[in-house]
Amino acid sequence: MRYEADPVTMQVIRYGLEAVADDMGYNLMRMGRTTIVKEIMDINCAVLDAGGGILAQAHLCPLMMFSLPTTAEKMLERVPDFEEGDVVICNDPYLGGQHLLDVQFFSPVFVEGDLVAFVANIAHQLDMGGAVPGGVAGGLTEIYQEGLRIPFVKLYRGGREDAQIFDLISRNIRIPEKTMEDFRAQAATTVVGVRRVQALVRKYGLDVFRDCTRMLLDYSEKRVRRFLREIPDGVHTGRDRLDDDGRTDDPVDIQVNVRIRGDEMEVDFDGSSAQTAGNVNSPWACTQGGVFYTMVGIIDPDMPLNSGSFRPIRVSSREGLVTNPRPPAGVTARSQTMTKIVEAMLKAMSEVVPDRVVAGSHGQACTNSFSGVDPETGKRFSYIEIQGGGAGARPTKDGPDGQDLHLGRFMNTPVEAAELENPVMIERYEFIQDSGGAGKFRGGLSLRRDIRFLADVTWARYSDRQKFRPQGLFGGLEGSVGSLILNPGTPGEARCRSKGVGEIKAGDLLSIRLPGSGGYGRPSDRDPERVAWDVRNGKVSARSAREDYRVVVRGDGTVDREATAALRDR
Amino acid sequence: MRIGIDVGGTFTDVVMVDEATGAFHYTKTPTTHHDLAEGVLKGLGDILEIGGVSMDEVSYLIHGTTIGTNAIVEGKGARVGLVTTAGFEDVLEIRRVARPKEAAFDFGADNPPPLVPRYLRKGVRERIDAGGRVVVPLEEGSVRAAAAAFEREEVEAVVVSLLFSFLNGEHERRVADIFAQELPGVPVTLSSEICPEFREYERTCTAVMNGYLGPVIARYMDRLTARLEAEYGKVSLHIMQSNGGTMTAEVAKSHAAHLINSGPAGGAIATAFVSGLTGNRMAVGADMGGTTFDISIIDENLPKTTTWGGVTNYPIKLPMVDLKTIGAGGGSIAWVDEGGVLNVGPESAGSDPGPACYGWGGTRPAVSDANLVLGRLNPDYFLGGKLPLYPEKAEKAVRTHVADPMGLSVEEAAAGILRIVNANMAKGISGNSVERGYDLREFALVTMGGAAALHAADIARELNMARVIVPPMSGNFSAVGFVVADVQHDYVRTLARKEHEIDPFELLREFREMEEEGVRQLEQERVRAEETEIIWSADLRYDGQSWELNAPIPRAPGGFTEKDVRRIAEGFHELHQQVYSYSEPDEEVEFVNLRVRVKGLNPDLAFKAETHEPFLVEGGWKAMRDVYFAEKGWLSIPVYEREDLSVGSCIPGPCIVEETISTALVPPGHTGAIDAYRNIVIELEGRE
Repeated sequence: MRYEADPVTMQVIRYGLEAVADDMGYNLMRMGRTTIVKEIMDINCAVLDAGGGILAQAHLCPLMMFSLPTTAEKMLERVPDFEEGDVVICNDPYLGGQHLLDVQFFSPVFVEGDLVAFVANIAHQLDMGGAVPGGVAGGLTEIYQEGLRIPFVKLYRGGREDAQIFDLISRNIRIPEKTMEDFRAQAATTVVGVRRVQALVRKYGLDVFRDCTRMLLDYSEKRVRRFLREIPDGVHTGRDRLDDDGRTDDPVDIQVNVRIRGDEMEVDFDGSSAQTAGNVNSPWACTQGGVFYTMVGIIDPDMPLNSGSFRPIRVSSREGLVTNPRPPAGVTARSQTMTKIVEAMLKAMSEVVPDRVVAGSHGQACTNSFSGVDPETGKRFSYIEIQGGGAGARPTKDGPDGQDLHLGRFMNTPVEAAELENPVMIERYEFIQDSGGAGKFRGGLSLRRDIRFLADVTWARYSDRQKFRPQGLFGGLEGSVGSLILNPGTPGEARCRSKGVGEIKAGDLLSIRLPGSGGYGRPSDRDPERVAWDVRNGKVSARSAREDYRVVVRGDGTVDREATAALRDR
Repeated sequence: MRIGIDVGGTFTDVVMVDEATGAFHYTKTPTTHHDLAEGVLKGLGDILEIGGVSMDEVSYLIHGTTIGTNAIVEGKGARVGLVTTAGFEDVLEIRRVARPKEAAFDFGADNPPPLVPRYLRKGVRERIDAGGRVVVPLEEGSVRAAAAAFEREEVEAVVVSLLFSFLNGEHERRVADIFAQELPGVPVTLSSEICPEFREYERTCTAVMNGYLGPVIARYMDRLTARLEAEYGKVSLHIMQSNGGTMTAEVAKSHAAHLINSGPAGGAIATAFVSGLTGNRMAVGADMGGTTFDISIIDENLPKTTTWGGVTNYPIKLPMVDLKTIGAGGGSIAWVDEGGVLNVGPESAGSDPGPACYGWGGTRPAVSDANLVLGRLNPDYFLGGKLPLYPEKAEKAVRTHVADPMGLSVEEAAAGILRIVNANMAKGISGNSVERGYDLREFALVTMGGAAALHAADIARELNMARVIVPPMSGNFSAVGFVVADVQHDYVRTLARKEHEIDPFELLREFREMEEEGVRQLEQERVRAEETEIIWSADLRYDGQSWELNAPIPRAPGGFTEKDVRRIAEGFHELHQQVYSYSEPDEEVEFVNLRVRVKGLNPDLAFKAETHEPFLVEGGWKAMRDVYFAEKGWLSIPVYEREDLSVGSCIPGPCIVEETISTALVPPGHTGAIDAYRNIVIELEGRE
C-alpha cells in the first residue's frame, strides 16, 4: 500500500506516535522500582523529530515534557554522532533539564541508516547524590550541593551498557541498587520506543513520515495562531509570590507580562525578583513550561502537543532573574516557582478570557522526603511524598477537592504502600474544612496527612504558601495557607519552614497541611442549597456559610431561606 | 439445552444451544427498560418456541445484565454507609489525587463523584499495622455510634474498609458482627473479603461498588427468579461475571461488583471460543457498536484478564476480562477542527438523533454515513431492512461538514473518515496489546457487533494481523459467550514476601486454603468434582516494583520444595524479559499475591464441523453494487447474502457479504472463505 502525505495520513501518523509515547510511559511505570516512578508517576515520554522538536508526548506529568525538546536541541549541538542502540542521558538544568533528580534518556531512531527521530523519557530519580538524602531539599545555595550533574553522556553505546559510567554514577548516589534499576528501566523503555517508531516510518516511508510530521507541527501552530488572532490585542500583567527562597524570609516576586498582538504572543518576566540564594530558581525549560502549560489549558487541552504549538508564543527572560538563573544557582525547589508562573499567567489571562481560566490553586509542590535506617531490616530507606491540595474554582463549577498540582499530574502514595515499605505510621489523611476559598464556585479543599515516624529520619522538603494565599477571582475569596507542624497539640509543637532539611526523631508526628485554593465569583451568588450540602458534608463550617456565603443553615442541614435572604439583602 | 440471555441497551439477545449437537438458535427482542425481566421472559419464550423445546429440556439459563453498570452511570445505586479507620474517612473521595488520565492540561476535568458522600462515611477507632498486628484495638462504641448514624440516615447497605484488613480481617469481621446486631437485615460488604489486596483507595472503592450495587442486583434477581418460577417452575439460573465465568443467581446477590461489564466479557469469551474452534490461539476481539469499540485480547485461547479494570473511572480491583473501550462506533461524528484537520469522535450521534442517514434528524456526518456514501452499507437492508437509510442525507452531511471545508470530493471525504476511525481503533488495539509484548502478526481479528466486519480488514491490515474472522451470530455474540462460559470464582491473598523468605509449606497452605474455599463454593453451585478445574498463579515483581506480572504456577498437590520456588522465579524473569525487553535474572523476586481460580467446566459442546472442499464461488451474488475504494475509486462489486454461502465457499474480493445484523467487506486482493463452522475467514496474505 502506498501512502500520500495528506491531512488524513498526517492524523493517522499522529495517532501512531501518540500510541508509542503512551506505551513507553506505561512500560516505565510498570517497571519502576521507586515510589516516585511507580506510584506517583513523576515521569514522561515523548517522540521527537530528528531536530529535537516534540512530535508526541505521553499523557503523564506535563511539566517534564518541556525539558525534552530544550535538552534535545542542546544535545544535537554537543553530541557529534549517534549510532543505533545509543542511549544518551542528561540531567543538567543548565542544559535544558529540570532539577538534577530528573534524568532524561534519549535514543536515536535509525531507519535504513538515516537518523529519523529520537525517543525520549524523563523520570524523577530517588536520589542523585548531593548534600541531602532524597535530594528534594529546599535552602541549598549551589547546584554542586544538589547532586551529581550529568551533561550529555552515552550510557549505552550500540546497545551495550557502559559499565564504567554506571559505576561512576553508582558511587555518587545513595541507594544505587534502586536507582540503577530505574535507569535500566528507562533505557529499556527507549528500546521499545525505537522499535515502534521504526515500524511506523517503514510503513509509511520516510518521505511521507517527514512530510506528515512537518504538517503536524504546522497544523498545531496554525491552531494556536487562530486562537491568538481571535482574542483582543493588549498587554496584561499577572503576579504571584513565593513565601521565601528557603534561605531568607524575603518573599520572591513573580511577574509575567503578556503582550498579545495579532496571532502572536510575547511573555517576559520583568518585575520578577533577581535569582535567589536559595534554590527556588526556575531553569529556563521550567519557566517556559509554566507558560506553555497554561496556554495549552486555555487554548485547547486536547490539541496535539508538539513543538509547533509553541512557535507563536515567544517567551523570554532576562538572565539573572529567578525565572532564568545563571549557574551555579541552585534549582531543586524550582517547582515552587513554576507553579507561581502558572498562577501569574492565569491571573494575566483572566483579563482576556475570564471563562477559560481558574482561580488560584495550592500553587506549590509539597514534596517531602524521609530517609533513614529501618530498625527492623537494618536497611537504608528513602521515601518521597508529594501531596495534593486545593484546586482553583472554575468559571462554571467548584474546584476539585484534594488534587495534584498544575504542571504535575501525579498520584499520591497509598497509606498502605508507604507503611509496607517504610518505618512510618500514617494517622490521618483527610480534607481540611473551610480551606477552599468561598465563591459562587468554591475553591477545592486541601489535604492533611499526619505521619508518625518509627525511626529517626532526615527530613528534606520544599513547599510554599505558608504566607501568601491562593488568589480568588472575580469576587471569589482567597484559599487557606499551608503548614508543616511537628507534634501538633503537644507541648513540643513546632511549626516548620516550608523549605529545608531537618531531623525527625522516632515517635514524632509530622502533620502536613496543604494550602487550599481560591473561589470564583462572589460567595453571595452561590446557590444556598450547594452551601447547605457542603455544610452537611463538613466541607464548609456553618460559620463560614453564614459569614462568607451569607447562608443560614439550620441544625437539620436545611437552608433557612428567610434568614438567608435577610443576610444577603444587607 | 443451554440458553444465554444478554440484556443490552437496545436489544435483549437470546441464544440457545443444543449440548448434544452443538446446534444454535438465536433471537432478539427489544429490551424493556421499565422492567428488564419482561424482555427476558419474552426472549426466553421466543427461543423455546423457535427451538420447539420445553423448559424441562433446558439444563440452565445464563443471564448477563448491564443493570449494575447502568446504576453506576446513572447514580442510582443503594444508599451506602461506609465504615473506615478513623482519620481515613476521605480516602474514597481523595482517590489518588491525580486528575483524570487524559486531562493533564484540562482545567475543567473532574473525576466522578464518590459513591458515598462524606456525611455517610464514619470512622471507627482501631488500627492494624503493616505487619498485620493490632496496634489499636477496635473500640466497639465507635462502631455502634456509626450504626446509629446509619440507622438515622436509613442506609440500605454498609461497607467496611479498614486499613491493612487485607493482612488481618479480624476488625472488619467484628464490625460486621456488631452491624448484624445493630442493623439486622442490612447487607454488609467487607473489603477484606471482596478484595484482600493492598492500596486502600482501590480496595475501598471496589468494596463500595459491591455495597452500592448489592441491593439493586438482589432486588432484580429476586424479581426475575420469581417470574421465572411462576412461568416455568424451578429454573437453574446462572449469572455472567466480569471475570468471564458464571455463578448462580443466589451467589450473585452478595457479589454484585463481579457483575459489572459482564456483557462485554461474554463477547470476549465467545471470541476465545471461536478462536479455539478455528485454531487461532491468539486473537483480538473487536466489538464495534454505535458509540464504542470494545477490544479484548485472547492469549492461548483464554481472554486476558486484569485486576486494574474499572467502570467510568472508578477502579474495581477484581480479576476481570481486560476490555478496553474507545469512543469509536458507527455513530461517531466526523468533524473538521479549527486547524482544518479531520477528526472522528469521541462525540457520537448515538441513537438520538443518530447518524444523518437514519433520517431521525441528525445532520452531522457519522461513520455509518461514510460507509453508506461509499456503497459499503445497503440502504434497503440495514437490520434486515427494518431501518431504511437515506443516502442523500448521508451525502449532504459529509459534503457540508467535511468535503467542502477540506476541499475534497464527497468520496475522498468519506474515505478519509473511515481511515481516521480505523486508525483510532488500530491505536486502541495496539495500545492494549503492548502490555504483554505481543506480536500482532500472529493474531486473528474476530469481529462482533453490527459494524466491525466492515472495518476489520482495514484495521487488521493496518496492524499487520494474520486474518479476520467474522463469526456467525456476531450480533448475539455476548450471549454466545454466556452459553460456553464456565462457572468460575477467583480468590486472592496478599503474601508480600521475598523469594528467600518463602516457606514452601506456607505457600502450599495458602493455595490449598483458597482452593478449598473455591471447591466448597462450586459444591454449593452443584458442580461435580470431575468437572472442576483449578488454576494457581502468583503476582510477582522485582523488589521495589509496584506493578506485578501474573505468572502461572503448576499445581502441586504433593507439596512445594525450594526448587519449585526457584523455578517460579525463573519463569518470572523470562516473562519480564518478554513483556519489557529487560530482566534481572540475578535479582530476587517478590511474591505479592497468590491467586486461585476455580472453574466448574461446562461440558464441551458437541460442535459439528461441516466439511467441504474449498471451491470458488462463481456467480450466486444477489446484486452488484458500486463501492468506493481509496486506492481504486468506484468499482462494481458483488454482494452476497451470507446464508447463501455454503461451507467451503471462497469469494474473491472485492466483495460484500450481507446478513440482517451485519455487513462484511472483503477488500480487493483478498479472499473470503466460509470455514467448517460457517465463519467468514479473510486471510491477509501478501501483507508486509
